[in-house]
Amino acid sequence: MTTDPRAFLAIDHGTATTSVALIGLVAGAWRLIGSLALPAGAEIDSAVHLLRRRVTAVDRDLAHGIGLATEIDSMPRLEVRSRRPRRLAIVAGSERTLSTLLGVAARSGWRATGASVETTDPLAMTGMLLDRDVDAILTGASDPPAPEERGAIRELAALVAAAAARRPEIPVVLAGGMAEGLAEFGLSTERPGEIVLAPAARQPGRHRAAAADADPSAPSDPLADLLLELALPDDDPRRAMGAAVQALADALDRRVELIGLGHDASVRASASPAAGGVEGTPRLAVVPGASVAPEEPDDAVIDAVSGWSTLPSDRHRLRDRMRELRIAPSADAPGEGTALRMAAARAALHRLIAAAPDPPGTPSPDLVVTAGGVWSAIPAPAVALALVDILRRPGASQFALDHARLLGPLGAIPDPHERLAVMGDLADDLLAPLGSVVMPAGLHAGRSAGNLLIHADGATSELDLVPGGLELVDLPPGATAVAEFRFRDTVRLGARGRHFAIDVAGGLGGLLVDLRDVPLRLPDRADRRRDLLSAWQRALWAGGDA
Amino acid sequence: MTTTAEDEIRLVAVHRLVESGVEIAFPLAPGDRPLVEVGESVTAGAPIAEQLRNGALQDQPVPAGPDTRPGGRVQAGELLFEWRGRWRTVGGDVWESIESPVAGTVREATPGSGIVITTAGQAIRGIVALGGPTRGRLHVAAGADGELRAGGLDVGLAGTILVVGSRIDAETLTRARAMGIRGIVVAGLASKARRDYLASEARQRAALHRLPPFAVLVLDGAMRRPLASPLLDVLAALEGREVAIVGDPPALLFDAWDLELPAPARDLVRIRGGDLIGREGRWLGLVGQRRFPGGIHLEAASVRLRDGSVVAVSLGDVERFV
Repeated sequence: MTTDPRAFLAIDHGTATTSVALIGLVAGAWRLIGSLALPAGAEIDSAVHLLRRRVTAVDRDLAHGIGLATEIDSMPRLEVRSRRPRRLAIVAGSERTLSTLLGVAARSGWRATGASVETTDPLAMTGMLLDRDVDAILTGASDPPAPEERGAIRELAALVAAAAARRPEIPVVLAGGMAEGLAEFGLSTERPGEIVLAPAARQPGRHRAAAADADPSAPSDPLADLLLELALPDDDPRRAMGAAVQALADALDRRVELIGLGHDASVRASASPAAGGVEGTPRLAVVPGASVAPEEPDDAVIDAVSGWSTLPSDRHRLRDRMRELRIAPSADAPGEGTALRMAAARAALHRLIAAAPDPPGTPSPDLVVTAGGVWSAIPAPAVALALVDILRRPGASQFALDHARLLGPLGAIPDPHERLAVMGDLADDLLAPLGSVVMPAGLHAGRSAGNLLIHADGATSELDLVPGGLELVDLPPGATAVAEFRFRDTVRLGARGRHFAIDVAGGLGGLLVDLRDVPLRLPDRADRRRDLLSAWQRALWAGGDA
Repeated sequence: MTTTAEDEIRLVAVHRLVESGVEIAFPLAPGDRPLVEVGESVTAGAPIAEQLRNGALQDQPVPAGPDTRPGGRVQAGELLFEWRGRWRTVGGDVWESIESPVAGTVREATPGSGIVITTAGQAIRGIVALGGPTRGRLHVAAGADGELRAGGLDVGLAGTILVVGSRIDAETLTRARAMGIRGIVVAGLASKARRDYLASEARQRAALHRLPPFAVLVLDGAMRRPLASPLLDVLAALEGREVAIVGDPPALLFDAWDLELPAPARDLVRIRGGDLIGREGRWLGLVGQRRFPGGIHLEAASVRLRDGSVVAVSLGDVERFV
């Protein structure tokens, strides 16, 4: 894309919803002029013309200025498209390596199945690799191979090479010690599918890896990066989220985390701004297992959704509704459908965080941005609540919504300088401020944990801080304030202390002071849990009980 | 419809009624024997593979020959891979024939992986098919909003594929299979009925019983709703014809090139969620953002239902047929 046109269209073809945004050059800067979110399957040209009619009806001069009347059909389009995650078959020399590889693949955009030579015979393993549904094979061992793997990896390589010979079109990744088996594959250039050598998966929990995880400038897991590249094409919005969040962090000069909940996969990305001439490296996890509406909702998924639901429902009925959500994600959104989406979104977010946890020592981001079609059926003020129900992280962060689904298309701009320039122009428009969330940890149960003074516009208001609850301060979008916390006892709020003064910004949900447990504890009894969840939601969600 | 309404209806999700050139797949496990080759034409009922029901892993020396390669066959069975001068093979002696339910051309035949056939006829896609493949005469046994009970089945229906309307329970499915009915086409199948039916089928398979060909094709979802009238019109037009149900992709296949299938009105839309699920009407146009129960604002459309009433529904709640 060049900067010559006066306007362009950013289109995100999701698997559940399609988003069309019109970006125009106004007073020398790119601005979001308007956007539409429609069910997947809507014809894009009709959507573009609807957008043009609406923009023209609101501001004819602006529409004329950016060439809407004459150039709409020839306007540049920045398009990204989500596709169903592909299937990766993983075979390993040991259960330990298999578990690590499954974990890496699960957060690298793949639907993964696996087996190890310790538990699976060669017949079943061959059957798994030859399954028509399999799009790639990953075989791995530790590097150097662990004692329990050493005797098995040669035979495993022979097995995989034989399967690869029968499916020459699919790529094969040999990770870590499995590289020793490369000779079994013969001349790898003769087959259409690549044979790729990759480093071993980083073992979780090892001291060196943990230290690397805590360092924001450290490169991410090379095997995970490779698998992401194989899993998702360049125009996949989930892959583009890494670049988008880095550009956003650079444009805003803030630590940014992105949570994208999708119909087929969810995304967690984080980035710190470039500092001292060193470019930041975003962390990106694409987790198909954390989709909002899994293809086959098993008991674990149903129980998790039920656990977050404010509506009474038996397992069978809930499974029916989750299946319907999978089949027609845009349908049945009003009424109980909204409550179902709220519960399904929280359950998906829980799976996302479990699959892609915070590295140890990660500071709270300054800004948490969330994206995804599921949020279009949930009132914006309640979105922040859904996030903090799961993201139990002591500290203070601002929350925002990528309401026009622009991050995917902008992240797909290939030139990083142009991406940064466009992101810098659009950052304010693309983020709908949900509000600020302050979450202290270590509160003692009791009648009062202290008080909160809000200093805004020369006035001060005071609130009592009651442990276990949510305090909501009305702070509209665009407003700022200083929140002064005076706790009776020492708490954790980024640092440990009793007295904190925090700059907070307003949003659609205002300032949310979350005094609930970290991590959150919910009653075991379903009716009490539902009542509690409803009570928390009520303050932020007018009509949420409908 | 006005020009604007005609343009706006293109924003509605499309439900494609009939497709052609659909590729159907039959999975093969190591040891299964494909009987067809790529490019070969197959007719309905022709055997395309033999499925090995008791495959066992063996390890033996195999003399070198033209078929000595992974996937090749020797007397002992299928070759998997060579290891230290010997071959791991899979063999057995209990076979079950897989027949093509429709005519078509073999596009892919990979031992141990699968067979893909490009069908010569047309297809109505569903959202899931349990069991199959199967074929039989199509019979519309219940109306759009009907429900077939176990007591409503009789032996005269053996060999047919029944269209049963809005939903069916597991007991009726099991009884239908036992009575020689070849398949069921239904709008919705509840998760409980699906689980109970699959458990019954798994028990039979575990006993290595050869099951009679039978499949359930679910067209819409898990909730009860009437069959879409354009679909029912097509199915009614196919009454008495040989049709087939396959699982990958889930679809009803038929050959009706000689028949002019009824086409739906261009402005016909169907509501696919909420209290009005399954209701049909005429598209009137978009009405902009509306506030809906639950406190959410969604793009809305106006629809005149068949009883004459006009309702505003979320755009995501409607589908059109092409």
